[in-house]
This record gives sequence, structure tokens and C-alpha cells, in this order.
Amino acid sequence: MAAIRVRDLRKTFAAKRKAAGLRGSLAALWRPEHDTVQAVDGIGFEMEPGELLGFIGPNGAGKSTTIKILTGILYPTAGDVDVLGFVPWQARRDLAFHIGTVFGQRPQLWYHLPAVDTFQLFGKIYELDDAVVRRRIDALADAFDIRHLLLTPVRKLSLGQRMRCEVAASLLHQPRLLLLDEPSIGLDVVAKQRIRDTIRHLNAAEGVGVLLTSHDAGDIESLCKRVIIVNHGRIVYDDKVSTLKRQFLTSKRVEVRYAESMPAGFTVEGTEILKVGKGGYGVKLAFDTRRTPVEAVVARLAAAGTLVDMTIEDPTLEEVIRAIYETARPHAGAGDGEASAAVATAGAVGEPPGAAP
Amino acid sequence: MTPAAPVPPAPGTGGALAWRSPAARSAAKYRAIFATQLAQTAAYPADVAARSLSIVVFMWVFIHLWRATYEAAGQSQVAGLTLAQTLWYLVLAETIVLSKPRPAAAIAEAVKDGSIAYQLNKPYSFLLYHFSVGLGDSLVRMVGNLVAGGALVWWVAGPPPDPRGWPLVLVAMTLAWAIDFGMVALIGLLGFVTEEVAAFEWIYSKVLFLFGGLLIPLDFFPDGLRTVAERLPFAYTLYGPARLFVTPDVDRFAHLVTGQLLWLALVGGLAAAAYRAGVRRLTINGG
Ligand SMILES: Nc1ncnc2c1ncn2[C@@H]1O[C@H](COP(=O)(O)OP(=O)(O)O)[C@@H](O)[C@H]1O
Ligand SMILES: [Mg+2]
Repeated sequence: MAAIRVRDLRKTFAAKRKAAGLRGSLAALWRPEHDTVQAVDGIGFEMEPGELLGFIGPNGAGKSTTIKILTGILYPTAGDVDVLGFVPWQARRDLAFHIGTVFGQRPQLWYHLPAVDTFQLFGKIYELDDAVVRRRIDALADAFDIRHLLLTPVRKLSLGQRMRCEVAASLLHQPRLLLLDEPSIGLDVVAKQRIRDTIRHLNAAEGVGVLLTSHDAGDIESLCKRVIIVNHGRIVYDDKVSTLKRQFLTSKRVEVRYAESMPAGFTVEGTEILKVGKGGYGVKLAFDTRRTPVEAVVARLAAAGTLVDMTIEDPTLEEVIRAIYETARPHAGAGDGEASAAVATAGAVGEPPGAAP
Repeated sequence: MTPAAPVPPAPGTGGALAWRSPAARSAAKYRAIFATQLAQTAAYPADVAARSLSIVVFMWVFIHLWRATYEAAGQSQVAGLTLAQTLWYLVLAETIVLSKPRPAAAIAEAVKDGSIAYQLNKPYSFLLYHFSVGLGDSLVRMVGNLVAGGALVWWVAGPPPDPRGWPLVLVAMTLAWAIDFGMVALIGLLGFVTEEVAAFEWIYSKVLFLFGGLLIPLDFFPDGLRTVAERLPFAYTLYGPARLFVTPDVDRFAHLVTGQLLWLALVGGLAAAAYRAGVRRLTINGG
């Protein structure tokens, strides 16, 4: 049985509209006008028990709204949801025993107390035996490498340290499903990587299912096998991460610095030069891994002069989504049959709003 | 799959704790929340001490004002109270006010910063959670205020009233605390609808000060006003317990507690209803 089953989920918010100025305020008081926001617009997917599923999309795509509906703190406007056999908004407290939640940077640890106090409190709240709680804290302290942090007041922890404790706290009652809404927001690269490693480890060791949202494709790439991409409340991609990488994370951007100045009209075979900096030391270029392999580009760049520095960047999520829309459109003419097939498996690919004929 | 950690018994089904009744498990939950807040407040003894200092300042002003009043009246008793009794009354009333829980601020803050999502996603009652937090927070400050204010008045006006009445006062103060919690929680629940609740809380506290008899015991009020004020919940929050403290007797206690229980039932019922309406709105409209 699926851990999560979502069918044709919709959520419309009524946002109060207010004209500018005092007159606007008075008018809004007298007769509030509402704009409707279609935050979730027909989302459907299933998640297997123990799966590690990424849910990504730009800001405002509807990720948090979806997570809130899955945990039962928001009613949907329409659609069916089943989480571990519960209808979340009808059985919020029963469901709470079986799921763990982390909402971005919002704190659940008691700020002025050491994290271990919150852990012990959660033990009582989830009605666990004291001995079980002790052993569980012990195991989580190792898994998250937080043993040395547990006795420090939370306010003295760095954000990365705190987030490790936050995620650990949400796992205290050994939930079957962990819902993480942007757990890595605001973290530096190293802290992000540590959280990801631990989540992957716990997923493998305990079989806890993880649904994780992010607006950063990189988060998902190293963590999940499968990814759902949402945009404007709709699913635009639902397939393997490896497929996404192969098809839509192929355009790389490279920045290099040389020890010596490059001549005017400098080119590298198989790449497009975007910019040559003043003096010719810094060069920005782009290439597509389907046409030119990374190693070839690196070799050619190294052959051209003495490399001082080099960074390779993935396309932004917005660029990926644009690429997905382009391949999904039959007249786009990309002719990449494999890509359109992969997108079609999503079964919910929509045209970008406003792009419909 | 090899579990890396001991598997706890299926949560929510009681598991290893199944031998304990649901009520006992539930009580353990709220006791733990209370104790955690107690620890958090007590983690700042300097803060508690600084707050206790304000009761000393207030009482110092009161001592001078009321001394002058009694001297001007030229009598040892005014409105049936001696100067010492009036001052002990004021210590207790001030202690209640200065140790009041702050659920309105806590609830509004949780709505604003989004941590409400966590509070709705834990297997406990949202209102009882805030009740336990408030109780833990109040208790620490209550002890600090009572000790600091009491010491000053003892020094100036002599020993406190008959200790045999103290257990009765404790019961009355607990009920008073709960009524006030209900009122302020009601205001906090407005935070589900409007952004700002501080203004409402400000108005409530001013009404409480006036009709509860914080600055002047109700005994000094003109008759008509006094009759009205005595029946309002504010008197059951402040005047009742403070007045019982200075002249404890069983009849006064019985009368007070009956009124308190009635108000508590009303305010508690209203808060529960407001919560249900509020959470419905919140879960439909979003935070
Ligand atoms: N409580 C709310 N009232 C009105 N609009 C909301 C509310 N919550 C979210 N929205 C709107 O719904 C859309 C989706 O929001 P959200 O789910 O938070 O996106 P994401 O988490 O992907 O950034 C956004 O346009 C947002 O402004
Ligand atoms: Mg979000």
C-alpha cells in the first residue's frame, strides 16, 4: 500500500485585496475584496513506503501548501488524500503519532533549553517509555553527530547544528514518514550536505519514508531517486532524478580564471563563450553535456592556458522548468523522443499558464 | 532492513505505556510541558529577579500613597481595612497581575512565525499546551514576586495575615489564574483572524486593573460601582483572592470559589469554542 496517495488535489486561497491609501483601508474594512490564489491546481502522485521523494519547485509553486495538507493542518479545496491510511485533516492527531515534520527554519526546539530537554518532552508527548526515549536519543545522537550539542542551549547553536537537532527531534518517535519542508534553506554547502547524508542514512537504516521539498534542484540530486517538480501548483515532472539529470540538467555554465591573458576571439571547441572578462583572464562559457562531455571541456580549457580557478554550475530550477515545458510542447521541435516520453510519464504535464493557445 | 535504533512500541497505541490509562498518559504530557517551561523560565534567574524588582517599586509607591491616605483620614481603618491589610491585599493583587501568563502573545507569535504548524501537528490539545506553558511560566515569576513584594511589606507593615488561610488562598489563586488564562487565550485566538492582538490585550489588562481592584480594593469603591464590579470576572481574578488573603474565612472562600467556577466554565467554554472556530478558519484559509 502506498504511504501517500494524492489525487487531483486543489487548494484555493482567498487573499484580501486592499487598495492603496486610507480610502483603500476603509473600503477593505467595509467590503473586503478577495483575490483568489490557486496555490495547488490538480496535483496527483503516490509515494511508496520508505521512498525518498523530492518535491521541488520555485517559490510560490505550492510546495508548502501541499505539505500542510498532507500533515492535516490545511483543508484542501478539492481532491483525495491518504497518508498512512488516514485522511490527514480528519485525523490530524492520530496521524501525528506516525509522521515527523520539519518546517524550514521555524523552531520546534525550545530556544533557551538544551535540545535534550525538548527530546525528553517529545518522549512524553508521543507517549513513549522513558527507557525507549533514552535509547532513541542515544541512537539519534550518533546518527546526526549531535551528541556534543545536546546539552548546549539551542540558542547558542549555529543554524546548521540546530537544523540537525530539529530533524533529529522530529524522528524521536520513529515515525514511518518524515515530511520536510525546505529543511536546508539558509544552510551553507557543508551543513546541507551533512543533513542530506543523515537523512539518506536513516532512510536506508530505518526505512522511514521521506518527502522533502526544496527550491534548489541540487538538494534533490544527491538525495532522492525520484523527483516531482511543481510549478504554479501543477506537476510538470515526475520521474527518476537520473533521467532529469540526463535530460534537463545538461546545460552547464563554467567560469574559469587563467594565470595569463587569453587572446581576443578566444574559443573552446564544443562550448559557447558567454563573456571574456577585462584583460582576458576570466572567461564564462556554457556547454551541453549531451554534445560535449565534461571531461572534454575541462581538458580543452586546461590546454588553453594555466587554470587558476574554475566553477561549474547547473542550470537554475527556472531554466530546467523552461526546458521541460519546451520539450513537452509538440511543436517545440527538439525532436528528443526520449525526453518527451519521460515527461509524459508524469501524466500531469501542463502548459505553462498563459502559454496555452 | 536492519534498524539502527531500538524500535519503540507503536506510538499512539500506548505500547509499553498501555497499562497506564489514557488520562494518565495525557496528564504526564501536560505535566512535562509545564515542567519544561518551568525550566526555561528558571533558566533566567536574573530575568525573574529583575521582574521581581518592579513589584518592589510599585509597592514602595503604594506604601507612600496609602500611608498618606490613612493619615489624612485620621483613622486606623478605612472601608473596614487597616493600612497593613490594604498593603498585603495589594501585594497579592500585584503578584497575580505581574505573574500573569502571556498566552495571547504566545499564540499570536506562533501564528506569525509559523510555529503554529508544529503545535497543530503534535498529539496534544493546543489550548492545554498553552495552559501548561503559561502555568510553568507564571509559577516561577509568582514565587519571585511574592517573596520580593512580601518582604518589603512585612518590613514596613508587619507580618502577613493568618497562615491558616493560605491553603484556601492558593486554591482561589489557581482558579483566578485559570480564569485570566481563559480571557487572555480568547484574545490570543483572535490572532487566528487578525494580525495584531496586543491592543486587545492592553484594553483587557486596563479593565482588569480597574474593575479587579488592582490599584484600589473594591471596598473603597462607591456602593453602586462596587456591586457591579464584584460580579464581573475581573473581581474573581484579582479582588477575590487578595481579599480572602487579608481576612480568610470559609464563607468568603465558598462564595468566591463558586463564582470562580461559574466564570471559569463560561470563559473556558468560550475559549474552547473560539479555538474550534479559529482552527477551522486557519485550516481553511492558511496561516
Ligand atoms: N494563507 C495563504 N493565504 C493566501 N495565499 C497563500 C497562503 N499561503 C500560500 N499562499 C499562496 O499560495 C501560493 C503557494 O504558496 P506555497 O505553498 O507557500 O509555495 P511554496 O512553498 O512552493 O513556495 C503562493 O502564491 C502563496 O502566495
Ligand atoms: Mg514554501
